[in-house]
Amino acid sequence: MESATKTKISAVKPARSRFLVALASFVMLSAGLAHLSFGQTKPTDFPVNTWTTWAIKDFLAEQKKPDVVFMGSSLMLVPLDGTDADHLNRRIDGSAHHKSVYFEDKFKQYSRQKIASYNFALPGEMPSDAALITRFLLKGEKAPKVLVYGVGPRDFMDNLLPSPAATDPFQYLSRFGDWSNRVDLIVPQWQERLNYELGRAFYTYGAKNQLAQNSDRAITSVLNQVAPTPKTDKSQAELVAMRRLLLPDYHPFEINRNECFFRPESQSARPKFEDNISEYRKRYKNLKMETFNGQMQFLADILDTAKERDIHVVLVAMPITDINRNLLSDQSWNLYRSRLRDLASRHQETTTFFDMQETKAFNISDFQDTVHLHSGGGAKLLDMIAKIMAQDKASMAALAPTKGDIADSQAFDRFRQTTRQEAMVEQKESSPL
Amino acid sequence: MLFNSLQYLVFLPVVFLLYWVLPQRLRVPLLLVASYVFYCSWRPIYGLLIFGLTLVTFLLVPYIEKAAKAENGKHIFTAKGWLGVTVAVNLICLAIFKYAYFTVGTVKQGLSLAGIDWKEPHLHIILPLGISFFVFEFIHYAVEVYRGKPVVKSFSALALFAGFFPTQIAGPIKRYQDFVPQLTEKLKFKWEYVDEGMQMILMGLAKKVLLADNLALVVQAGFAHPENFSSVDLWLITYAFAFQIFFDFAGYTDVARGSALLFGYKVPINFNLPYMAANVADFWNRWHISLSTWLRDYLFIPLGGSRCGRILNYRNLFITMALGGLWHGAAMHFLAWGAFQGAVLIMHKEYLRLLDAIGVNKFLAASKESGTIAHKLYHWFSIVATFHIVCIGWVLFRADDMKTAGTIIYKLVMAPVELLHFSASQLAILQIRDPIIFPALLLLLPGLMISQPIITWLNDKKFYQSPPWAVQVSLMVALMCLLTIFSPDSSPRFIYFQF
Repeated sequence: MESATKTKISAVKPARSRFLVALASFVMLSAGLAHLSFGQTKPTDFPVNTWTTWAIKDFLAEQKKPDVVFMGSSLMLVPLDGTDADHLNRRIDGSAHHKSVYFEDKFKQYSRQKIASYNFALPGEMPSDAALITRFLLKGEKAPKVLVYGVGPRDFMDNLLPSPAATDPFQYLSRFGDWSNRVDLIVPQWQERLNYELGRAFYTYGAKNQLAQNSDRAITSVLNQVAPTPKTDKSQAELVAMRRLLLPDYHPFEINRNECFFRPESQSARPKFEDNISEYRKRYKNLKMETFNGQMQFLADILDTAKERDIHVVLVAMPITDINRNLLSDQSWNLYRSRLRDLASRHQETTTFFDMQETKAFNISDFQDTVHLHSGGGAKLLDMIAKIMAQDKASMAALAPTKGDIADSQAFDRFRQTTRQEAMVEQKESSPL
Repeated sequence: MLFNSLQYLVFLPVVFLLYWVLPQRLRVPLLLVASYVFYCSWRPIYGLLIFGLTLVTFLLVPYIEKAAKAENGKHIFTAKGWLGVTVAVNLICLAIFKYAYFTVGTVKQGLSLAGIDWKEPHLHIILPLGISFFVFEFIHYAVEVYRGKPVVKSFSALALFAGFFPTQIAGPIKRYQDFVPQLTEKLKFKWEYVDEGMQMILMGLAKKVLLADNLALVVQAGFAHPENFSSVDLWLITYAFAFQIFFDFAGYTDVARGSALLFGYKVPINFNLPYMAANVADFWNRWHISLSTWLRDYLFIPLGGSRCGRILNYRNLFITMALGGLWHGAAMHFLAWGAFQGAVLIMHKEYLRLLDAIGVNKFLAASKESGTIAHKLYHWFSIVATFHIVCIGWVLFRADDMKTAGTIIYKLVMAPVELLHFSASQLAILQIRDPIIFPALLLLLPGLMISQPIITWLNDKKFYQSPPWAVQVSLMVALMCLLTIFSPDSSPRFIYFQF
């Protein structure tokens, strides 16, 4: 059944070339489909559930806008959810729990102010992903007052990541807006860039995920009629577990409700310290300056966007163990910290910078591996952040009641201006830590 | 570089444009450079391997001719000696890179059975892509020169013969008498090259991306965890693999032949509706044709072929097929697959003898002449039976080890028992609804099976030789749409790349 080749080759003019006519027809068809936005789905119509899609869906579904949004990678996610499991003394479903009750309570304790938080920290989240969250989702009615962003060296120096476009968060966050102004940073390799440009040139390629998703649904609907699922004593969760066993690489980031829990831990019964140093050795190997500079640019974008939207940023350099820090050369480590400081100081009007490593408050007993704090360490971290924010006038000014809360708008503006000026003076005089 | 990659999407048009813009004398050097770029894009150091093997073959083979001519045939041993050296160099190279792990492992296993604990040497050898294919092409060249065919005078022609990028990694295994003369032909660009070539490339990619890659999901699941599937499931999964490997390899071959045609070159076909074969010998005339003819010409015939006694003939058949199995991969299950093919070929010969003895052949011949239905019924029964025998063989081929193969074959054999009290709820492929290919198999497989006789009918009607212009254009547009929509972000490698 190989395609047969004509044995006799005769002269044909380009205008009669079957391939050229087919190519031209395809281009026209593609343009027509693009004009009709054929098969387009909503950005929130996700084909599969992942940490990212749950966080997005739940964020958009929240009735009340959060005062504080947390962002970061698993360095932030693990202690936030782990601490709440301890604090609430119940297991926490990672896909459904998107707040830090512990932080809210601690902040209330230190500031006597009640706030609502939302946790947008995601496994593997890079500053490039956080930049998309800030730009596409934290806006208008959904813009928080304060953004707490925890970063670690891995966020800027992960050499296992081919490009910012390779993360699970990017795959779904990129649907919510136009990121073409940062295309050079997001798809720096020529193959990825070509892929991107092909997607722009040919609608069927650019919208392939939506089109494939639609056709998948159509086929499923037909099959449900023709070959319905037979009655089985297996639950849906068991069937999903079986599929994961059979096809471990299919939808590797998929996570459903009630699948990933953070359970309460006590100081005396913590899981054994996990040595993940070999993984990080690979990640840190050969610092790629383009990756580092690119991710720093995305951090700058976050701070710029926040400034535009009047969101105060609390930038937290997360603590890591000395074992992990020692994998980095002094040059890399110093470069990382100095660039963070530099960025924070350039945005000092709207940014408060906390360098947790500098506090020396954390030691190896606070960690579950070489970078992730366990729930006890997480509680220490959140306690410190809550305390410092409560003392930080800039943060408090941002969290002050909004126009909606104060009837006299002029009085409100005077209040905001005064507190902000005070905060700037204080920031210039001394670092919060 | 994979055919189904973006690199190839850039590489092929660039080489194509340069090829037709450059004067004739620069075209072969261009293709040679392009072929080495193609090969070295995977692992540059192995470019030296293919170059070195080409150089050694280029230098040694003329001695075969010289020895044969100088001694006027009296001292043929010398020519045979040079042939032996050339073949040995190629086979040693193949043995080192492909069979070192297997040999060491087998020896260790054998010694451990004898109670000897042997500390095997630590090997770190990565199998060079396509080595089995270009080694076979070099051996073919040396043998043909030994048989009196002319040597290739130009090094670049010989280097391009083996290194030609469309066929470099997984064939088809070319014959130098067919390919090398094409290098000196003065070709003028014709749009037909583009039309035919691109149509073949699109068809090939569709077979790979739309069919083989989707079927691969079910196959992967079934062969990794056969214990989770019923006997009926496993039959369906085995059918799925039969079509997966066919579409994967036929798809690759289409892209290879289409790419070659863009430059005006013709390379041999590899498949001719193999699942329409009416017996196992017929299957091997239709499946991986360039390999089966190679095995026939350079292994089976030198062993004595069929012009000897029945037992020796069967021995030759068995050795040829077993070694053919081992050529596919250095593992016991490949050897078992080859041995199985040898055994069924022998059984088929014995079966024919039996039919002759009891007069069935005469009856069938008479039925064919008189046009009665018995002949047709027997023909279709033979096709179905052959397909199932081939499928059993595919289990040995695909399973990761003999234990898994044994588990699956046992379940396949037990299917009739399961069918006695069968219900749809036993089908795991109906319970897994994502990916949708699992339940879709119930519709897809019959469709693929029915498509085989339909394509045969269309072939008989000469449809493929001159399909209507509009049909060809529509087909290409449809394929372009489907491929752009369903192309995965990363498609698995072609199965035959590992060989």
